[in-house]
Amino acid sequence: MGFTGLALGAMLHRDGYALDAEAWTPPTGVPHFAPRAKSVIWLFMNGGVSHVESFDPKPMLTKYAGKTIAETPFAGAQDPKKLAIERLVVPDANGNQRNTLYPLQVGYKQHGQSGIEISDWFPRLARNADKLAVVRSMWTTDSNHGAQTQFHSGRNMLDGEFPTLGAWVHYGLGSLNDNLPQFISLGTREYWNLRDGHYLGPAHDAVPLRIDPENPLDFGKSERPIAPEAQHVGVDLIRRLNELRGIEYPKDPALAARLASYELAFRMQRSVPEVLDFSRESAATQALYGIDQSHSRDFGTQLLAARRFVERGVRFIQIQHGGGGAGAWDAHGGLKANHSGLARAVDQPIGGLLEDLDQRGLLDETLVIFATEFGRTPGSQGADGRDHHIFGFSVWMAGGGLKRGVVHGATDEIGFHAVEDRHYVTDIHATILRQLGLDSRRLEVPGRKRLELDHGKPITEIIA
Amino acid sequence: MIYLHARMTPARGIRADVSQGWRRTIRMTRVIIALLAALSALLGTEPGGVIAASTEVSADTDGRTHWSFSPRARPPVPAVRRLRWVRNPIDAFIAQQQESRGLTPQPEARRETLYRRLYFDLLGVPPSLEDLARLEADRSPGWYERAVERLLEDSRYGERWGRHWMDIWRYSDWWGLGDQLRNSQKHIWHWRDWIVESVNNDLPYDEMIREMLAADELYPEDLKKLRATGFLARDYFLFNRHQWMEEVVEHVGKGFLGLTFNCAKCHDHKYDPILQTDFYRMRAFFEPYHVRLDAVPGEQDLARDGIPRVYDGLLETPTYRFVRGNENNPDKSTLIVPAVPDFLGLRMSEVQSIELPRSAWQPERRPWALESYRSNARRSADKAASKLAQARARITLGATNQQERAELAAIEAASRLANADLESVERRIEAMRAAWARTDAGPACSDCERKERDASRVAAQAERQAAVAKAAHAVCEIELTQTRAAADKKDGIGKELKSALEALEKAKAAAAAPPSPKDSYVKLTGAQWTPTRFLSSTADDPVVAFPPRSSGRRKALAEWIADARNPLTARVAANHVWARHMGVPLVPTVFEFGRKGTPPTHPELLDWLACELVDSGWSMKHLQRLIVTSSVYRMSSSTLGAEADMAKDPDNRWWWRRSPIRLEAQSVRDALLAHAGELDLTMGGPPIPQNQQADSKRRSLYFFHSNNDQNLFLSLFDNASVKECYRRNESIVPQQALALTNSRLVQDSSIAIAKRLAAEGRVGASRTSDAAFLRQAFSVLLGMNPSPAELAASDNALQAWRASEKDPAGQDAPTAARARLVWALINHNDFLTLR
Repeated sequence: MGFTGLALGAMLHRDGYALDAEAWTPPTGVPHFAPRAKSVIWLFMNGGVSHVESFDPKPMLTKYAGKTIAETPFAGAQDPKKLAIERLVVPDANGNQRNTLYPLQVGYKQHGQSGIEISDWFPRLARNADKLAVVRSMWTTDSNHGAQTQFHSGRNMLDGEFPTLGAWVHYGLGSLNDNLPQFISLGTREYWNLRDGHYLGPAHDAVPLRIDPENPLDFGKSERPIAPEAQHVGVDLIRRLNELRGIEYPKDPALAARLASYELAFRMQRSVPEVLDFSRESAATQALYGIDQSHSRDFGTQLLAARRFVERGVRFIQIQHGGGGAGAWDAHGGLKANHSGLARAVDQPIGGLLEDLDQRGLLDETLVIFATEFGRTPGSQGADGRDHHIFGFSVWMAGGGLKRGVVHGATDEIGFHAVEDRHYVTDIHATILRQLGLDSRRLEVPGRKRLELDHGKPITEIIA
Repeated sequence: MIYLHARMTPARGIRADVSQGWRRTIRMTRVIIALLAALSALLGTEPGGVIAASTEVSADTDGRTHWSFSPRARPPVPAVRRLRWVRNPIDAFIAQQQESRGLTPQPEARRETLYRRLYFDLLGVPPSLEDLARLEADRSPGWYERAVERLLEDSRYGERWGRHWMDIWRYSDWWGLGDQLRNSQKHIWHWRDWIVESVNNDLPYDEMIREMLAADELYPEDLKKLRATGFLARDYFLFNRHQWMEEVVEHVGKGFLGLTFNCAKCHDHKYDPILQTDFYRMRAFFEPYHVRLDAVPGEQDLARDGIPRVYDGLLETPTYRFVRGNENNPDKSTLIVPAVPDFLGLRMSEVQSIELPRSAWQPERRPWALESYRSNARRSADKAASKLAQARARITLGATNQQERAELAAIEAASRLANADLESVERRIEAMRAAWARTDAGPACSDCERKERDASRVAAQAERQAAVAKAAHAVCEIELTQTRAAADKKDGIGKELKSALEALEKAKAAAAAPPSPKDSYVKLTGAQWTPTRFLSSTADDPVVAFPPRSSGRRKALAEWIADARNPLTARVAANHVWARHMGVPLVPTVFEFGRKGTPPTHPELLDWLACELVDSGWSMKHLQRLIVTSSVYRMSSSTLGAEADMAKDPDNRWWWRRSPIRLEAQSVRDALLAHAGELDLTMGGPPIPQNQQADSKRRSLYFFHSNNDQNLFLSLFDNASVKECYRRNESIVPQQALALTNSRLVQDSSIAIAKRLAAEGRVGASRTSDAAFLRQAFSVLLGMNPSPAELAASDNALQAWRASEKDPAGQDAPTAARARLVWALINHNDFLTLR
């Protein structure tokens, strides 16, 4: 049993849940079936990346630029029945349909053996086209940025709050390495998307880390000076006293969990700064991640840290890119400047990560995902922007036992609706869980019924 | 179908007074309904009343006899063998189960342990050194009961137990995006203070429910009671009424009744006889309510203070069932009327609209409302006058210095403005009173209309004069800035000055215009609705006025929930109270008493507790006194020497020992400050903002706590989620170890505690007194007597620190070493544990 299993078990045990032998037992930390991947690097672009200017080229937008959708052969896209999947949380002017088609702001080329089309804003990533499984047929329901939460938990905010994928993985698989937290969050999270565990409990929230070896972790080092020898004396005494307490309280599961938590805490305190100390990474490696360039340094540092965490067996590293407002990618205006700049900040790091993982033989057991809450409208907003778009958008995944160099699903000719092999966000969850060897139905918690849609279906077409 | 349903209601409860004839009729009716339903299904009719009724019939076959839906009766107290163990009937119910399973209760916990348990449990803080001295002195029988009585009357009790109810009732300070209020309310802390005061005053629980749901209908003129409706004001959500309403229904159901209405939003409940329509019937009780801020005496500025409260403003808004829960697809064929599900066998009294006193819907008529404006305006005028007097004494009238002259002019203008504002307020007060005199007297008063008109004109003129003074003041301020500005900035300021002068001319022109019948003035207010943005996120919705009537819906619902005959209310509350005292609830699914929930381990005990709660006049203190003075509460949590019991009942389901409890977040921090002698016991008031929390010594429940703003230290110890917290988590994670070893809070407290212990024990730094220090530290911090092994380990560490450490915190070596020892004990498992 992983550490969190131990702690959770101690509590539920006390409630008598454990007595219902037939009903439920906490996860053991052992996968339900043979896993194909051990770790997940979850890259999430806050704000909504334009699918038509990244991974889903739509030349018809340029051809019919300036025409309303109704004037084009694709008028059927605005059939109210097809639009009815929307469940609006905020009555925002955002998320309205934008009728006048806006031309593509960037060119596309085919790349690699697979010939996958990727926009010119992602040149380094494009060199890794043959590693990708691109899904061009995603849909979601919240046309405001609550869709960020929805992509992580699978639920529209109107339904309440639910555990995120990372929390489920943490809950189901526990630990590969007891020196480090197993579910790590890097980057900025928006305020409506701060937590992960929800009803699984805060023990399954991601541990937020800062890329700062001096101060990477909340309370990660003493806030008042203490000599290392004095610290050691204290650590030993705490351990000894807690062990001695076991005489009067033998087999107390909480006491055992408390002892284990202190051991892990002391190890984490040493290990986390060590992982974030890049002094042993060569200049070439750092350049591979774009750390030598100011525009890509921040994200590159996070991705290099992610690789170092993966090497040490951390399960789930969740990295949010583009904080502030509703998310930096939220290009209601000035899309070209916005997206080209942000792409420049992430392209080299992501391409570098894929190459680095691959050359170290880690890509086979590491699943990298690039996602965003929704795409952007085929029509223009204002003079030079695109609005939120939930009916069709793209994500990609790489490694972790997935096919390499494939495109799955498609939107219609103007990138409006996902039309082939449509996938709700939980299909991504199901795919990841399957690669990790988990059956989400066997993770259910008493009193918390999950729906079919929550479980999703693995996208078997992209699994190798 | 609604009609049919209503006709069916009396017979479908479990009432005995229904005639057999009625039953037969009903059975026939049901057959007909079932046939109709089958028919409509065949014809592909959209699910509506007919289908709903059919499901209702099928639900009737099960669920109604479920234990928690059945009426509560006081169970007989069982006879047991272990008579001496039984202190009150609670113990008899527990002993019955123990005996039938061959379990032996653990002996009573040691006095120190018990004392610590009681303090944390009732007050949320540990006993102080003085309290421990009192314990030491009182060896006579009844010491424990005396302590219980003392603590139940201690005002800290209301803070600890108030926080418990704040969890369940989802207390949250306001949050939004930046400064924009999106959720809960500004000044919602008034509701928190109402909770703490009510708990301290042992306000009956049924009355708490009535006030929280309907104080505006029951006590429309009582601001103190109106604070209670913060319970509903908290659910305010700027953008989406449906989400708002759904949260209300969900948490009224879960919090008071242990029913999951939320499971019936899209379809009939899968386990309980709750129809999808019932979800919307429940919503209909709340459909008319909206939120506003009422001014408190002495403060008319609602940005600074005000009481968030509810009122029925949307009296005409219909409620519809949403087909499959989709808010875009309301079934407009049937208007949903407020009604409670009938399977609990308790009918609700009829909803009757309530006429409100004038001051409720014209809050400016409250005696203090206009006076606040007047006294604040007068205070400003006095302040400006004294500033002017000081300036005149400093700056001679004939000053040649241009800057000084400008400064004096600005201060003079400020004083003129303050006086004009006061004048404007005075005249507007007169005009408003004249208007009331007319409406109150009606057509009988021939003179009133003229008086109102005259007063109104004077008020409008005074307001314009105030506008002139304001514009003149702005000009003076700019001129002052100009005299102080560098040469290169003067141009820009010149432009500013020009437009200020233009504005002044405009104001003067307006003031000089001849009076007109259209002249009006800005009314003084006593309350303001909290605007929503349901229609567009960029503009406020149309104002929701304060009507003179309230629908009476929430009053009817509150009375039904708080009815002594409601089978769920008292059971749910008693279970919550038991859970917080004992660490483990009798019904583990504390918000789910339906058929999907887990049945109670001791159903008779739960019912007995619920009966005690109701029969004592819903006194929480009565219930709590019974629990904490019982033998089961006072047992040791040790498993030592109880191997046989441990083997028979490893989960302690049958209470053969006490279950240890991990301290809640607030208690962890409060205990550190209390031990250090630094806890600030000031009660109530606005929450401590995040940027002041690190240095604050106030109790943790006063920290600003919302979805966005949470204190990091508290959140690591499973602080309440503002979205839903029917039970605290008790996680054990490494981050807690990091916080307790590394935080400034713990390290600084350790030094303060070590000093206090040393002072109290009057011990120096010699070896023998170290032993005394250690015993005292274990006793005070952990409520335990250290074993020789524990003493030896601690003493070794103490000597090692004394030898090695070079005085890091400016302490002498003995104190520094003892502070380290205290620090280690704070990191002891039992510091966080109620044994």
